[in-house]
Amino acid sequence: MIERHLLKLRARDIVSPEEERAIRDSIAEVRSLSADEIIVRAGRLTTFSVMLLDGLMCRYKDLSDGQRQITELHVPGDFADLHSFTLKRLDHSVMTLTPCRVALVPHEKLEQITERFPHLTRLYWFTTNIDAAIHREWEVSLGRRTALSRIAALFCEIKVRLEIVGLTDGLSYDFDLTQTDLAECVGLTPIHVNRTLKELRERGLVQFKSARVTIHDWNGLARVAEFDPAYLYLEKWHL
Amino acid sequence: MARYFLHINNGGGYSEDVEGQELPDLDAARAAAIEGVRSMLSEEARQGQLDLSGKIEIADGEGNILLVVPFCDAVELRRSE
Repeated sequence: MIERHLLKLRARDIVSPEEERAIRDSIAEVRSLSADEIIVRAGRLTTFSVMLLDGLMCRYKDLSDGQRQITELHVPGDFADLHSFTLKRLDHSVMTLTPCRVALVPHEKLEQITERFPHLTRLYWFTTNIDAAIHREWEVSLGRRTALSRIAALFCEIKVRLEIVGLTDGLSYDFDLTQTDLAECVGLTPIHVNRTLKELRERGLVQFKSARVTIHDWNGLARVAEFDPAYLYLEKWHL
Repeated sequence: MARYFLHINNGGGYSEDVEGQELPDLDAARAAAIEGVRSMLSEEARQGQLDLSGKIEIADGEGNILLVVPFCDAVELRRSE
């Protein structure tokens, strides 16, 4: 059940059998959610963190005029809100974008992990630092990249993150997002996303069709995006 | 709510909207079209060129064109004499 989570952790460090057992034992409940369900609401007290097992989720913030900015996408294996363990009331919400299966980990269990498993605690600290790195990369996109480069960067990032957890098929992967979801990730409108996807397709770089991304020219796409996977910290370290 | 398809027709060619958007009514679809055009034009302006000759065709699920929104409807241009 937590195999993708373990793949994500083991891409960066060793996870001992004892640590693996501690993670398994920390799960209180597994829940199936439909698309567009809010699982963490901004400002509400949280008592558990959400580990994504299947599907896609996001962190987002809304403006009063209805505009939404998605600030990070979550893929299977991610803790969507490990940071709620220390923050308790989040400044943003977390929702599903597709049907999802999630594991709920009570904060008291995470507290026990911090007391009994210092190395695993450092590893979890590291994963929240990766989330921060992803936020920085998105900041660069939203502030500075062109529409073409923003979407290219997103497709590159998701390809690498899904590859780690075994969810790519060569250069293609399932990505069941609408153009509106994509627009909310990259700070554009659905129309602008549609036009930009057409340009990416016509340049022979990538196709996004029927909930699937197919990259035709990885180097070309990475060049347009100025994508450097260094921010995803893929090297193996012993923390 | 109904599904509206906002096809783009401009200097970059024709971009069919195969997915559509769920919107309350045609007014909301027009507002989405205007917002979309402004988003595309802002990108063009950043690159120093503005092509106002395009249009958005708003269609229903059967492919009937309900409304055409010219790009020039999305902005008011002012220039000094």
